[in-house]
Amino acid sequence: MQGNRLYEGQRLALKYFTVAVVLFGAQLLFGLIAAIQYLYPSFLYNTLDFSIARMVHINALVVWLLYAMIGAVYWLLPDEAGVEVVGVKLGTIGFYILTAAVAVVVLVYLFVQVGPGTEMTLWLITEGREYIEAPRWADIGIVAVVLVFLYNVYATVMKGNHTGILVVLMADLIALAGLYLAGMFYTDNISIDQFWWWWVVHLWVEATWEVYVAAVGGYILIKTLNANRQVVEMWLWIEVAMMFGSGILGLGHHYFWIGTPEYWWEIGALFSALEPVPLVGLFVHVLYDWGKERGKGNTIKNVPAFAWLTVETFGNFLGAGVWGFMHTLPQINLYTHGTQWPAAHGHLAFFGAYVAIMISAIYIGVQGKAGLKEMKMTRTGWWAISLITVGVLLMTVSLTLSAYTQTMVERGMHGATWEGYFIAQANKWFVQGMGWRLAAGLSVIAGYAALVYDLLTVTKKQPEEVYKAEEAAAQTA
Amino acid sequence: MENRPTSVWTSNRFWRRSATWVTGVAAVLLILLTFDSMGQMQMGTAEDIQNKVTKRIPSPVVINYKIDYVLDPYRGHEVPVIGGQEVDSATGKVSSKFEEKENFFGRSDWSEEEARALIHKGKLTIQAKNCMDCHTLLGNGAYYAPDLTKAWLDPAWSSEGPLQAMTGASSKEEAMAIFLQNPEKYPTHERMMPNLGITPEEAKAVVAYLKFMSAIDTNGFPRNFGKIKGAVDARK
Amino acid sequence: MFEPCHDVVCSFWSMLNQGPMTLTIILHTLIVLPMVWIYFDEKKKLQQGE
Repeated sequence: MQGNRLYEGQRLALKYFTVAVVLFGAQLLFGLIAAIQYLYPSFLYNTLDFSIARMVHINALVVWLLYAMIGAVYWLLPDEAGVEVVGVKLGTIGFYILTAAVAVVVLVYLFVQVGPGTEMTLWLITEGREYIEAPRWADIGIVAVVLVFLYNVYATVMKGNHTGILVVLMADLIALAGLYLAGMFYTDNISIDQFWWWWVVHLWVEATWEVYVAAVGGYILIKTLNANRQVVEMWLWIEVAMMFGSGILGLGHHYFWIGTPEYWWEIGALFSALEPVPLVGLFVHVLYDWGKERGKGNTIKNVPAFAWLTVETFGNFLGAGVWGFMHTLPQINLYTHGTQWPAAHGHLAFFGAYVAIMISAIYIGVQGKAGLKEMKMTRTGWWAISLITVGVLLMTVSLTLSAYTQTMVERGMHGATWEGYFIAQANKWFVQGMGWRLAAGLSVIAGYAALVYDLLTVTKKQPEEVYKAEEAAAQTA
Repeated sequence: MENRPTSVWTSNRFWRRSATWVTGVAAVLLILLTFDSMGQMQMGTAEDIQNKVTKRIPSPVVINYKIDYVLDPYRGHEVPVIGGQEVDSATGKVSSKFEEKENFFGRSDWSEEEARALIHKGKLTIQAKNCMDCHTLLGNGAYYAPDLTKAWLDPAWSSEGPLQAMTGASSKEEAMAIFLQNPEKYPTHERMMPNLGITPEEAKAVVAYLKFMSAIDTNGFPRNFGKIKGAVDARK
Repeated sequence: MFEPCHDVVCSFWSMLNQGPMTLTIILHTLIVLPMVWIYFDEKKKLQQGE
């Protein structure tokens, strides 16, 4: 076997990846509970209500993605910069603090759930703002840990190589961290509240996270396909230009109905319409490189990572691009806003744009840990990627069906009242969509089990020729 | 250096500089737009209401007034109307008269200070009880329970509506407050609201917030609100 | 040709908001236009062999 000497930063990355995979499981579990409650509302009623299940579902998602994102940066940082991560001890302490804080927050969510209507609840229990429900004390902790992380990244890059990937990441991470501050205040004015809340949510998932994904995707392409760095970095800058050029003002599509002026209609409609364009760029980029390298007979250095990256390009384009644009024009959004439409879009977009690439990055980590030069896909790995991808696609289609029904019946026919809402929720087409969504969720959970098993065993279950090649390489070395 | 790229389109430096420019310009535009929007979205005052100045987010003293939501042909969508409506005969523009009062928990003389304290408590409660992870507010949140943007105007809670009758209360605000404190006693649907330990003061404050929120100008969201029988427009 | 502003407050931006294609085109142009200058600047630099 090849000596598997890792940087300390990469060992830290593996810790982040481990927690990420565990939280991914929590996300799916609580998603399952929420999906069951749609069909059987008495399930865990007054014990673990939908609001709690749903909150843990989306918070676990955000937190595990952040863990995987930080992990992936710690993985590629020493590799790209060519030096050990500066301040890695501090980074490790940060990891334990963050993990302890996440555990406390989740326990409070599950066992305290809600508090009295006072400032104290916002500080200690929950802020009650979708996606960023974490109480204020945890916010401050997160900011402190992220500052340590930023210090690690900046100090390391200053010391080592300034590759294009690292420069983009440095700029992007500071914006990503800074934006979180926009969500850390309280106001009685719900319109202003939601205005700044979207700064965090939108400018994360539709701008800074997307650029992050492009940078990490570029790194994975270099690792798996030996892609030409010059080409990768050029596309990376194009991605930055288009994502920020379109995505920053694309914020407007959240400002149609929350008490904001009417001019946001025109800004939100078309700026967000251009958001799929850079995603197409990424897609073309991957295909181009694959074709090019394949022609030379080059093998893929990490098949599972590359397979997940392929899911990423399709999923990102379909979920974020197509499903987003389907309901982004204000005339349509007037009827789809606040229905299952954003749920359908959100499931495919988060999966396609973020989940797939983070799993890809985790496979890179698994390969690096074992020190394998090449890694093939196992049968379990194929089951994992198929069950999860098909599951999420089916889930999206079912939710879209329910969304259409809800939009037409509740909004179109009944004018969005309480009664109209429940008529639509009881519609057979709506209910069946929810049923299929639950079935699809079970497929994703089965895929998750396969994925965990595969991540633990993939390096031990490689075909003979992989190990032989490793031995041969070790002898010549 | 040989093989120097001769095409600008494949030059990394060109794209890097463009990315920097584009990001900078977009960010500056967003900041300018944010300043403009923030100016328009500040909460109004009782003085505005006295002077009949329409604000996108009105003063909390709107809880003293009758609130309605009607189609404005001039703006092309529904607008909130506070204290009775006035229609411009030339343009069809609908504006609020800020005259017709309506009791809120037996009073229509809530001072600005009292009303602000009430909605402050209401907003804190809405966050502390995590309403947004079942309901949508201004259309944002979860989709497990009805949208609350215009819940105050919902026909189901009006004096002829089934939900007010169910609680046995004699006014909308009392019915809503009773429901919020004991949701499991008043099932509105198979999917029931859980008991969140809402106190009488919190319930009153949340209802005040719902009334205040129904007066926010949401550019016509939700559309055709209450078009079914007993709804806002059909009522007349 | 120009529609009067129908919004609650008529600011600079709501004047530009004339339908589906005015404000958005103006803003896109503001964002993309500097790239034309960058293009020709880069072309000059590449030709000079920088």
